[in-house]
Amino acid sequence: MTGDTYRIVRGYRLALDRAYDRETHMWVSVQDGDRVRIGLDPLGVETTGSIAQLAVLRSPSSLRRGEQFGSLEAEKFVGPLLAPLSGVVVACNDAAIADPGLLHRDRFGEGWLAEMDARDLAAERQELVEGAEEIVAWFESKVDEYRLRGVLAE
Amino acid sequence: MPEAALRVLDFGSVRPLRSQTLWHAVARGVSAGAPPTISFVRPTDPYVCLGYHRRIDEVDLDLCARRGLPVYRRMVGGGPVYLDNDQLFFQVCLPLASLPARRDKALRLLLEPAVEAFRAVGVDASLDRSGEIVVGDAKVCGHGAAQIDEAVAFVGNLIEHFDHEAASDVVQSPSPEARDLLARLIRRYVRATPCDADAFREAATDAYASAFGLEPSVGSLTSAEEEAVAELDGKFEDPRWRDGLDRAAQTTDHSVWRVKVRAGVWAVEAELAGSRLLAAVVDGRLEAVSVDDAELNGSAAAVERAIAGWPLGEAEARLVAFGPPGQRLAEALARVGRRLE
Repeated sequence: MTGDTYRIVRGYRLALDRAYDRETHMWVSVQDGDRVRIGLDPLGVETTGSIAQLAVLRSPSSLRRGEQFGSLEAEKFVGPLLAPLSGVVVACNDAAIADPGLLHRDRFGEGWLAEMDARDLAAERQELVEGAEEIVAWFESKVDEYRLRGVLAE
Repeated sequence: MPEAALRVLDFGSVRPLRSQTLWHAVARGVSAGAPPTISFVRPTDPYVCLGYHRRIDEVDLDLCARRGLPVYRRMVGGGPVYLDNDQLFFQVCLPLASLPARRDKALRLLLEPAVEAFRAVGVDASLDRSGEIVVGDAKVCGHGAAQIDEAVAFVGNLIEHFDHEAASDVVQSPSPEARDLLARLIRRYVRATPCDADAFREAATDAYASAFGLEPSVGSLTSAEEEAVAELDGKFEDPRWRDGLDRAAQTTDHSVWRVKVRAGVWAVEAELAGSRLLAAVVDGRLEAVSVDDAELNGSAAAVERAIAGWPLGEAEARLVAFGPPGQRLAEALARVGRRLE
């Protein structure tokens, strides 16, 4: 990746070469055709806390956007991982499952969560935030909103 | 304007399976629009319960079978635990939107009323920096939480009497020495707080109602919740759910065994190429160290003295001075360190 791939936005290192889901705080990186890799963005990681456990459901059936594909645990608090796109989960990141700390150390690289074959990528992509300026503007407003609500430290 | 209701459900003593499925059904009900709820339950008989993400092989299933202890998996987090009739369990189920998005803040909001309830019945409890409810440095309340659909379920317990022996026995241990160490640590760091359970129930109800601006109101399960109980009974008895076969999760690392006794306190054992290290890790430092390696030639006690009381990283460095066996033990310790991060 080039030096332009990342930008520091409101104190968070953000990858600009992918798309983001506004609601689930998942990033989506198109790999090949309809195959996408997904992971958790910096706000998703920070609001979750110190991630101790990670699991991906073994479900051969197709998921709809917003449905659960896995789960995270931090401080004995279990929460769902929600699919940012409709499709089938075809792979999970065994390295991150074995060492969930990867989500903190390398959230845009080795700390990816799963790969999906997206069912309707072209249409659902419109729901995601994409493009450097759009990503930065969205992320800035989200951080400001979270700080105002006390979700994030000042 | 009247305050919204905090539904109060007292399930009394129920069989072990129901002591789990009843409140999981309540969480579903709250997600579907039932009022915020606090519930209380005791199991009629002892059993073992495993946190959502944990491996089934963390439980000594043979021992549980011999003792007739059922094993269930819950949806909230944490490790394998032993439950019995001497523990009163409480559950608080709230709509997801009523809690902060940040989990550590949500958890603190859910823990603080429990501390208040303990204090109201004369237990000098406090919430420590790691988020444990403690008296001194001993944990007095096991807790866990989960988002279940659009609700959050938070669970905790009042331990009136604790069977430390059984609690350590049900955890799979690699050696009798490891089991002994775990039993000692549980005795040291988990404490019962006998008190008036009825008074605790009332205090907890009042504390959670006050914390969330709700008015306590005794209620009952909705028909949808009753249906959910029956469905969850089946799910929780399904070996596929119990054994965690429906998901890709952490696999067993046979080289390192570690059991968290309370936040910051672990029993650990690591083996590497014939070297074995057993210890307690308390706030990052080694205690009760025992090492074994055929090449130590009688110097095991010196090795143990050299690393007891030291942080893991420094202990690793000190082990290297003991030649090849020390290096093996250092690598085993490094593996422990990675698993405790």
